[in-house]
Amino acid sequence: MDFMPIIAALKRQKTAAALIAIEIALCCAIICNALFLIIHRLERSSIPSGVPENELVRIQTTSVAEDPDVDARARAALQSLREIPGVQGATLINQVPFGRSSWNSGLRLKPEDKNTIVNATIYYGDAAMLSTLGAKLIAGRWFEESEFGDFATLLGAPDGEQPKIVIITRQLGQKLFGNENPLGREFAFGDVPVRVIGVLDHLVRPSIFDDATADCSLVFPVRMGAGYGAQYVLRTRPQDRDAVIAAAKKKLAEAMPNRIVLDTKGFDELRDENFKQDRVMAGLLIAVVVSLLVVTALGIVGLASFWVQRRRRQIGIRRALGATRGQILRYFQTENFLIVTVGIAVGMAAAFGISGWLMHHYELPRLPLYYLPVGAVALWLLGQIAVLAPALRAASVPPATATRPV
Amino acid sequence: MLKMTHLSKAFRTEVVETYALRDFSIHVREGEFVAVTGPSGSGKTTFLNIAGLLETPTGGTYELDGQDVGALGDDARSHIRNQKIGFIFQAFNLIPDLNIYDNVDVPLRYRKMSSAERKKRITEALERVGLSARMRHYPAELSGGQQQRVAIARALAGSPKLLLADEPTGNLDTQMARAVMQLLEEIHRDGATIVMVTHDPELAARAQRNVHVIDGQVVDLGEDPKLHMNVSRISA
Amino acid sequence: MFRYYAWLAGRSLRKNPALTALMVIAIGLGIGASITTLTVLRVLSGDPIPQKSAVLFHPQIDPADLDDWHEGEEPPDLIGYVDGMNLLKAGKADRQVLLTGGNAVIQPEGSSLDPFRTEARFTTADFFPMFDVPMLYGRGWTAEDDERRARVAVITRSLNDKLYGGANSVGRTLRIRGNDFQIVGVVDHWRPTPHFYDLVTGNYAEVEDVFVPLDVGLDLKLGRNGTMNCWGNGGGADPEHSPDCVYMQLWVELGTPEKRAAYMTFLNNYVNEQRALGRFPRPNSVKLRSVMEWLDYQKVVPSDVRLQVWLALGFLVVCLVNTVGLMLAKFLRRSGEVAVRRAIGASRREVFAQFLVEAGAVGVAGAVLGLLLALLGLWAVRQQPGDYASLAHIDLPMLLATLALALLASLISGLLPAWRACQVAPALQLKSD
Repeated sequence: MDFMPIIAALKRQKTAAALIAIEIALCCAIICNALFLIIHRLERSSIPSGVPENELVRIQTTSVAEDPDVDARARAALQSLREIPGVQGATLINQVPFGRSSWNSGLRLKPEDKNTIVNATIYYGDAAMLSTLGAKLIAGRWFEESEFGDFATLLGAPDGEQPKIVIITRQLGQKLFGNENPLGREFAFGDVPVRVIGVLDHLVRPSIFDDATADCSLVFPVRMGAGYGAQYVLRTRPQDRDAVIAAAKKKLAEAMPNRIVLDTKGFDELRDENFKQDRVMAGLLIAVVVSLLVVTALGIVGLASFWVQRRRRQIGIRRALGATRGQILRYFQTENFLIVTVGIAVGMAAAFGISGWLMHHYELPRLPLYYLPVGAVALWLLGQIAVLAPALRAASVPPATATRPV
Repeated sequence: MLKMTHLSKAFRTEVVETYALRDFSIHVREGEFVAVTGPSGSGKTTFLNIAGLLETPTGGTYELDGQDVGALGDDARSHIRNQKIGFIFQAFNLIPDLNIYDNVDVPLRYRKMSSAERKKRITEALERVGLSARMRHYPAELSGGQQQRVAIARALAGSPKLLLADEPTGNLDTQMARAVMQLLEEIHRDGATIVMVTHDPELAARAQRNVHVIDGQVVDLGEDPKLHMNVSRISA
Repeated sequence: MFRYYAWLAGRSLRKNPALTALMVIAIGLGIGASITTLTVLRVLSGDPIPQKSAVLFHPQIDPADLDDWHEGEEPPDLIGYVDGMNLLKAGKADRQVLLTGGNAVIQPEGSSLDPFRTEARFTTADFFPMFDVPMLYGRGWTAEDDERRARVAVITRSLNDKLYGGANSVGRTLRIRGNDFQIVGVVDHWRPTPHFYDLVTGNYAEVEDVFVPLDVGLDLKLGRNGTMNCWGNGGGADPEHSPDCVYMQLWVELGTPEKRAAYMTFLNNYVNEQRALGRFPRPNSVKLRSVMEWLDYQKVVPSDVRLQVWLALGFLVVCLVNTVGLMLAKFLRRSGEVAVRRAIGASRREVFAQFLVEAGAVGVAGAVLGLLLALLGLWAVRQQPGDYASLAHIDLPMLLATLALALLASLISGLLPAWRACQVAPALQLKSD
């Protein structure tokens, strides 16, 4: 089809054509960035935790009165939890993935270094932690029984008594040592040099304040007592969860009369809570994208219908002069294609501009280029679908219209 | 009533300048019924557009009701159209979305009359054209002749000093055309000044005076019907 | 004339119900989305304590060691026990308060309620008069109570309702984690938004249920709630009292700019003195921000909320461009009518007014729809997680702003079409192409 007569005709209705092009441009700019944000959010909320979340439950307790023997009672309670039918493992740790409350520390390579390399989260776990959490050890070994210390004795103890060995995640290894094998390497935790004896595939942080270090975790061989935010983690099959929780509450009440259970939550629930905001935002963005597409499509239908009606006589004359229905149909389709193309071209520039602004204000990565053709194809399709009905109506204008007054 | 002196109207495009009217002079006195005839493209419509203050002349002077209206602004010209001029169009030009009553109401609305006054005038005007029974009908429900009578009622409702008619019977069959013409003659008898553009010699013959326009210039045929008949035969 | 135009607009809009609905829905959606997000933004960026926000200041000093120090670094947001107490006791401001978040496990006495944990605030006597805390019963405690570590507590109205059925509980005993506290006051409804005095426990957190003197809360180890940052050896066995850990907030009231300047001098002098004693190895970095400066510095308004506002405004613009297009089409379709009206004597202004009234009518309808959508949107926001969600309510100014915005939006979108319509030349013939 020859573009020139269409362009010439469009010049006579610049305003309306410009309005559609502007609308498409705005749409293109917003949608490209919104899609990117949606995917960013969804990716973020599906970050791997490294543990089978649907099999894990955490139980938080708190004391209602002083109890000097509470640590011993806590460990006895842990033992009794392991005896509950359906419990495949139980551990007492200081924090859990997606649990929000976290212990963190800046790490340096050597104690005398002035600058922190990376901030990592600190897990204190007992011998059962690895098997209970089900995290995957990809190199080195887990701690031996003799290597565990008690948190209560380590608290405030001199540096010499702090743990000297550590297990880190793969991501933390990369941050500390680049591509070199972290196994056997040392770094400084506070003023204490610690040696890496094992590497975990993944173990996500309790609270993610920087996506780039979401998986920067380290584990020390430290047995928690009851206080300092220590939490029980039970592993059980999903179908046994409710029964196990009920039984565990009873056991804990018996074992520790001075403590109450604050809450019991599956790790999957913790993840949901943690990323609810992201999913809500993604849902909101999807709603905006859909609304934008619908509004724009209806706008195109409205304007195209107007054009068709206005040019009924002209169309009738063309038909009388021998234009086929197909030619009339294609005329309107081509016209729409041209306008939308102009809109897309402007919109892409705007999309990139907005992306730059978002990068600056929201610390987002640059909009990947492949979003642009995707957005363009979507809008071309949208335009063609929207213009179809009015174009068909134009094609059905009878040639006799030419001979009758309007 | 209407006096044009050495009037000219040029249409300019990028390439050429063409004159629709050139050194055009005409004087219509109060109470006259003038028919303007001429072949297609002679400048009749341009004359009527200028007379009705729809277009401005390029040169010369135009006095309407003793006032020089050549240099007035758009608002003042709208005001004069509304107050002094009534239009009757070939295509009737009723507003399809409004019923007969509301169509006649349109010019009165722009005069900001009280609603009682408007109602009185509309009823009178519609009675005069014999359509008071059709007040609530819409234009599409009326025949061409009836529509033109509504248009006449609309023109009359504002009691204009000057009635401008553009081929008022052009879209009507003979019988209807005759009725409309009779109505115009009645209105003229009641004292209105009428300027009517037509290409129909029979219709033109019923006017008081004929003006022939050829190539944008006036051939005033005065009030001699014989001369008029000769000329029209020549031009035909 | 307005009534005539309104009547004409009504007829015209009813004639194309689908087109009218499309324009109204487009404006309504755009307005609804914009008002929803703007309302949330407004609620979240409000002044939590308007009558005093200009005279309350948050001092910051930097006692950390030289590790990770770089030029121009901001001092930490929090303050430690040693420096906090030193500054509090110096008493150089009109009022000063030291506070940190905590927990309280409450054992209701002689009640069927099980023990439960709630949030607490460990603070000092000036908290209540300084922040204009409204009291339902009794009053806050005194500086003397702080000094002698009296086991006194102030509770909120909601906790008072829960424990004592709303009765005046002043003088009664509250059992917190096995310790008896005497209730001296009950706080009436109070929810400073944002939760400015301690952003660590949540930018829009509700006020804590229990207030106890700072030293009592720490001594009894009721449990801290919030962030603690340590350097050096990490605070040792008692980080709460270590000079190398920060976890508290210090607020001071300074009634005049002169007092503020004097307090800045005082803070610098304090840092210099401490350096002479071997602390504060970093160069002086002292900040004294007012409430609003502090909220701004802490970027309390969630970036998502700002993003949502931009998104909604972008959406509104698209909806408006859409409406401009549709109105243009609609108005130009009636160029025949305009030509006749102009010939009959309507001035350009009159035609313009007629079409603008029609655009305005769409705007009014869009405003009503937009308002309904905004109410629905805010309801949806309140169902969302996050401590600020429950605050999303529309108020009268926002209501009026909605109507104004919608009307303005539709008039703006009507301007171009109405202007184009009134440019149609008066004519004797209806022309069509």
